[in-house]
Amino acid sequence: MKLIKSIVRPNKVDEVKDALARLNISGMTVTEVRGHGKQKGHTAIYRGKEYNVSLLPKMEVEIVVNDSLADEAIKAIVEAARTGEIGDGRVFVFPVLESYRIRTGEKDA
Amino acid sequence: MSTTQPGAGAAIRVALDAARDELRGDVARGAGGRAALQQHADRVDGLLRSLYAEAGGAERPVAVIALGGYGRRHLCLHSDIDLLLLFEGRIGPAEERFLRAFLHPLWDVGVVVGHQVRELDEFADLERDNPEFLLALLDARLVAGSRLLVDRLGAMFHTPATHAYILQSLLALIEERHARFNATLYQLEPDVKEAPGALRDLMATRTIAALTDTLLLQRGPADPGRFEEAEDFLLRVRSILHLEAERNQNVLSHELQERTADVLGYPGDEPRQRVERLMSDYFRHARTVSRTLEWMRRTAPTPVGPNLGLTRDGVRFLDPVQAARSPASWLAAFQAALDAGTGITDEALSCIQQHVSHYRAEDFTPEPRDRAAFLKLLKPRPGLYAALSQMHDCGLLGRLFPEFDAVSWRVVRDFYHKYTVDEHTLLTIRNLERLMSTQAQYRERFKMVAASLPSPELLVLALLLHDVGKWRDDEHALESVRMAAEALERLQVAADARDTVLFLIRNHLQMSLVAFRRDTEDPEIVKEFARLLGTEDRLKMLCLMTLADIEAVSPETLTPWKEELIWRLYVDTYNHLTQRYGDELIERNQAGLGELLSWRPHDIPEAEIMRFLEGLPRRYLQLFPREAIYRHVRLARDIGADEVHVSLEQNDTVWSLSVVTLDKPFLFSNICGVLSSFGMNILRGQALTNPNGLVLDVFQFTDDERFLALNVDAHVQVLQLLRDVVSGHADVTALLRGREQGVLHARGAPRVAPVVRADNEASERYTIVDIVAANALGLLYRISGVISRHGCSVELVLISTEGERAIDVFHITRAGIKLTEAEQRALTSDLQSTLEGKV
Repeated sequence: MKLIKSIVRPNKVDEVKDALARLNISGMTVTEVRGHGKQKGHTAIYRGKEYNVSLLPKMEVEIVVNDSLADEAIKAIVEAARTGEIGDGRVFVFPVLESYRIRTGEKDA
Repeated sequence: MSTTQPGAGAAIRVALDAARDELRGDVARGAGGRAALQQHADRVDGLLRSLYAEAGGAERPVAVIALGGYGRRHLCLHSDIDLLLLFEGRIGPAEERFLRAFLHPLWDVGVVVGHQVRELDEFADLERDNPEFLLALLDARLVAGSRLLVDRLGAMFHTPATHAYILQSLLALIEERHARFNATLYQLEPDVKEAPGALRDLMATRTIAALTDTLLLQRGPADPGRFEEAEDFLLRVRSILHLEAERNQNVLSHELQERTADVLGYPGDEPRQRVERLMSDYFRHARTVSRTLEWMRRTAPTPVGPNLGLTRDGVRFLDPVQAARSPASWLAAFQAALDAGTGITDEALSCIQQHVSHYRAEDFTPEPRDRAAFLKLLKPRPGLYAALSQMHDCGLLGRLFPEFDAVSWRVVRDFYHKYTVDEHTLLTIRNLERLMSTQAQYRERFKMVAASLPSPELLVLALLLHDVGKWRDDEHALESVRMAAEALERLQVAADARDTVLFLIRNHLQMSLVAFRRDTEDPEIVKEFARLLGTEDRLKMLCLMTLADIEAVSPETLTPWKEELIWRLYVDTYNHLTQRYGDELIERNQAGLGELLSWRPHDIPEAEIMRFLEGLPRRYLQLFPREAIYRHVRLARDIGADEVHVSLEQNDTVWSLSVVTLDKPFLFSNICGVLSSFGMNILRGQALTNPNGLVLDVFQFTDDERFLALNVDAHVQVLQLLRDVVSGHADVTALLRGREQGVLHARGAPRVAPVVRADNEASERYTIVDIVAANALGLLYRISGVISRHGCSVELVLISTEGERAIDVFHITRAGIKLTEAEQRALTSDLQSTLEGKV
């Protein structure tokens, strides 16, 4: 199993969700996060006063999928979240050792 | 010289002496208390009546009215006889003859008459400079003459406003008087009239009860019998002092204490013992009076409006029966409570609850001023949520807005909302109210936006009605708009205010949609959003509405992350609206244009409107109501070089000046200079130029020095100077020099550090110069003067002020194009120096 953690633009979350749903991936965790990578943000000026907006609002979408589905899921996320501009985000993939259902205590295959 | 017969004077003297002798006899027996004084007052009444009869009355109605102590029939031996001689109409020779015939005999026999001669009309306005006279009027009693006149005086005098003023003055007078006695009643030689606990305090206690709640005296800390007893005792003592001193003497001095103790028959072998017993009785009575007065001052409701009193428990109806019959006073009760920072009492709430179902929505705001007052009530401030919740609880809000009743206890079944629709709605208002007074640093930016709203009550009205369509399960925003339109119609809200409220309700979900679901880094998205809003005021209101609405869903819904997204969209849209609007010109298919053309008055052909609008920014149509636009079109008609067409209008305290002319150097600066030379404080404004060189400047300003209010031909003067200055026949610099220096010296260092920023990117056609500085007289004149001296022309200007900050955005060009880097640097550095007062 793989944990796929993607950082995307807030306005792209729905598209990412839809793309994953098409792969029958519906379980996910979505978190509001702030950060920056290479894209350092910019300074917004409001009535003569500068506001530092170096930490950009992003959404983090986490899913756990079987190894066989991982490549397709990553592709779906990248395609859905891409605008081609700087700041489109990142996808990180982690190996998952074990997984349990809390309700039943049953271990996932 | 007396005009009466010598015989009349003699008769009066005989009668007066007889009356006084009788009183002397009573006093000497220690019986100069209330009954004796009343009898004496009655005898003086009789005497005055016969004088009145002998004076032959006046041609027109007159009333001889006893005031103060005499009015109360507490007339001591040497008290002044306080009279009001009231005439119905103008005092002419006949009235003067009457006055002489009536007063001279009194003076001749040496009676001290404290008299006021008045015409009834003089009581139309409350006299604020003589509270003692107003207090004395409370005891007015007809002695002779026209009863009708006294009744008419009563009707003019006994108003809630007058009562409130008298009460307030009385409380202040008590403080002052007590301070003179070091605020203690335990005086070794007490003044039985003035000292704390003495007669004046006793009267004050009665007056407070009479002005607020007459039943209070029955409920005071002392048995009412003891209070009466204290009064009789104090009067008996005072009578003895008058008798012994043979004048208006009220201090119970050591010498007079012995004599008084003897007259009042205190037992004891030694004078000292008798005096001690007298004084111990005095202090006992004074304490009763003092405690009752203190209790009364704490308990009595302060009149805060017609039939409204403020108590420690909140605002209540003084007369619930009357309140039940006048639903228009209910909203006034809530307004008074908000003003006093309290609620309304439980009794008042039950009174409303009991009777609210008898009335229709219109009954609560029958008059235009009631409707204006209701809008004022909605101004967000601490206590508004509590007040609206109380109004909701007692059923008043639902009656006032049957639309709102439709969502009472309405449950929205989703995993998102935590409260019923009505409570969610009220919470949005609480969130706005809290935002306006928040101390939280991270909220400061939104707080400033809220503080800059010109009509925040419209935002509250929009919040109140934004979800009323939720009685239906589907799309609610449009249903809310439909229902809100009916409510606004009923309240007869002005057209532009109504449009704003409906706009906010219709679009109340738009900002969160764009901020959270759209790519706000895309300039097209921001541009579209800015087009939807049109003006900064609407943007500000929608921004705050969005924030308040999300926060009212549940305590966790508005995360700092969401706030950040909303703020960024706000800033980008604000900058677009203020800096890029010059690039977006009115188009033939723009919303609102069709309406503007089809509603046009007969005297304005369609082509004339189109010619006028050509080349103006599209926000022009969003900024001005139709009537204003038609006015501008007429002003622009047949304009020639050096001609200035002007209109000046007043709306409440704000004046609006529209100027149409043809562009020329220093034009904007000169117009600002003229306004400043009259001391006008420019609040907001727009300066627009079209490609044909037609200039439309609209200024909103306040006349802080009341020049326009106080001078009959002020309009003419302002308009004439404008024409002279614009056509070059007068120089505004000289007019302003003295004023500016005075202001600069008076103000000292500005509290807002000036910021000047030039930008060539924001607009395709103009260099944008953003200026934030401390608001000051002549500021715009100085800024625009610098710009003109640099050879730049001012194409568009946005002027706004927030408290002491002035925020101005200039769109400028030089020789028709944007400024070069070097030109920008030279200009901004010059502007900066000017604003810092270095040049």
